[in-house]
Amino acid sequence: MIGFRLAAQRPPDAQRVTDTVVMRFDHVYEVDPALMTEHTPQQDLPAWDTHRIVDSRWEHLAWMHDHFADSVLSGEELLAEIEAEKKEGEP
Amino acid sequence: MAVTSLSEGLVDELRGICGHDYVFTGRSARFNRARVPAPFPVHRWDEFVPDAVVLPRAAEQVSEVVKLANRHRVPIVPRAGGTGLTDGAVPLNGGILVDVKLMNEIKDIDLVDRTVTVGPGINMLKLNEELRRHGVIYPDNPASYPCSLVGGRIGTSGWSLIGGRYGHTRDLVISFQIVLPTGEIIEVGDGGGRKVRKSSTGFQLKHLFMGHQGTLGIVTEATLELVPRPEAEFSAFFAYPDYDTAWRSTGALAKSGIATLAGVVLFDERKLAYLRRDDEAYIPQPPEVRSVVATAMYGNADEVRVGAKRLMRIGVETGGNYLGDEISHGDWAARHDRYATPLHGRLRSGQVVPMSWHCEDAAIPYSALPKVREEWHAIADSLMERFEMFDDWGMFAYTNGPYKPWGDYLTEIDIGIWEMQWDDESWAAWVQAKKDISAVALRYGGSITACHGASREGEVDLVPDELGGGWEVMKKVKKALDPHNVMNPGKYLLDEAYEEGES
Ligand SMILES: Cc1cc2nc3c(=O)[nH]c(=O)nc-3n(C[C@H](O)[C@H](O)[C@H](O)COP(=O)(O)OP(=O)(O)OC[C@H]3O[C@@H](n4cnc5c(N)ncnc54)[C@H](O)[C@@H]3O)c2cc1C
Repeated sequence: MIGFRLAAQRPPDAQRVTDTVVMRFDHVYEVDPALMTEHTPQQDLPAWDTHRIVDSRWEHLAWMHDHFADSVLSGEELLAEIEAEKKEGEP
Repeated sequence: MAVTSLSEGLVDELRGICGHDYVFTGRSARFNRARVPAPFPVHRWDEFVPDAVVLPRAAEQVSEVVKLANRHRVPIVPRAGGTGLTDGAVPLNGGILVDVKLMNEIKDIDLVDRTVTVGPGINMLKLNEELRRHGVIYPDNPASYPCSLVGGRIGTSGWSLIGGRYGHTRDLVISFQIVLPTGEIIEVGDGGGRKVRKSSTGFQLKHLFMGHQGTLGIVTEATLELVPRPEAEFSAFFAYPDYDTAWRSTGALAKSGIATLAGVVLFDERKLAYLRRDDEAYIPQPPEVRSVVATAMYGNADEVRVGAKRLMRIGVETGGNYLGDEISHGDWAARHDRYATPLHGRLRSGQVVPMSWHCEDAAIPYSALPKVREEWHAIADSLMERFEMFDDWGMFAYTNGPYKPWGDYLTEIDIGIWEMQWDDESWAAWVQAKKDISAVALRYGGSITACHGASREGEVDLVPDELGGGWEVMKKVKKALDPHNVMNPGKYLLDEAYEEGES
């Protein structure tokens, strides 16, 4: 049986991001647990479980792109091209 | 355990038609098919439960069930995915619920004439998984893409997130087979040919038999449009310092004439405040970001590329600040699950509470969007002042025209509702608020609903106002096709057609 590994994988302490949101891992936001005390009972999540949820979310989004089209174009690249063309056009 | 007010004889007849294993009278089968995800008076659940559920597998079985219902004068309610937001699949008078989920086969993929013929119980995501192998897709893409079914899309005449490019359900369904309220099986389309997209023969019956919320029959097969699987997808999200700039930018993007443009969406300040609660794309945005406009394109890679460059120019020149690839790509790919998070609900104290999602979905002319926004939020505010169970989740406006995404917008206000708190008083206030919201839409030259239909309490009262003389025609059509009022009775106020004095 695989034991519960919270002790081995205790997530780092939360840092405040906004009045209502905290963060334990880079770019992984969590609603401030203080706002979830009355109607939504909380449970401890080991770090690996948070990573698993975040990874499957990214997997799902990649799946959805691929489901609809063969490729995804980049707006950043197009903006860079537009900027470069502007510069070329400048006297 | 059989718990039904239908006679045992009638249930036996149903079993004779559909097979013993395809007729259900137990509590869980019936109670689970009572509600849909629209706000539901959970304190009155018992009132909306069907007496029996059948899962037919062939049009002939549906036809026999409908004939039986006519003989016994028992209501029939068609149900597909059960995701409809205007209570269309909610039984108002008990009766037999016809669940079409087992009619989910792909019958014919025609790559020459570019059609696919399916049963009404198939889901678009599943269909497209299969079509992908053939280099084509069926591009009906509602936010409920993973869970709504073709029969329900026809029953509601649905709206697609990429309809600006590919058209909406009515444009994508070429023809279908339908069991009329008296049990006859007919084919309707544009004219007679099953695979003909445009005909001028006779009345245009296809439109009549779409969007009727199951009041004019049960679709048993549909022939759908196939389009080339897109080589490229492009999505761009822009941030703005205020709503007015974003609104003007939306107009400029939508009327750009870019052929691959699939849609433009305008999020208002309150929608952003809501998304900042727990959406990774919006939490890090600085407070100066008060409105966001999202765009998406599909098609051949070379065409999308040229169009996307033009679109980026317009977005930036009209005051937008590109939010970057990660947010633009991620948020667009998340378009089907934005509503699935019940924890977005907040009490005034800030405490999180599980809430259900409600949305109004009027069609509003572009020019009226700013005014409608103000008036709708005011209605939501007064509701929130009286009851803590309501929470304004902001508004968006989404290009509504098929192929030509300008002019009018699917305009949505999303309201969170803590359903466990319903009582008669809050329900009545809610119904009144819905009516007020619909009245605003009509006052500004709009329509009550762009995609879901308008047969729920509140909004339905204004349908005669919206349709005028057309409402009288609707009643005549209903009575002519369904003389015993067995097909989804109680919907759309159509019972009025059977009242004394109505001819
Ligand atoms: C999260 C979410 C997002 C949504 N986003 C969108 C969106 O972007 N666009 C949109 O248009 N809608 C949207 N909806 C609403 C809903 O998904 C659509 O109205 C959809 O078309 C309903 O399909 P369904 O299979 O769930 O039908 P159901 O809810 O089962 O039925 C809808 C209506 O059609 C009738 N019906 C069902 N089957 C048949 C049949 N075989 N023949 C005749 N009538 C039938 C029913 O009686 C009912 O009146 C959304 C809903 C949810 C929950």
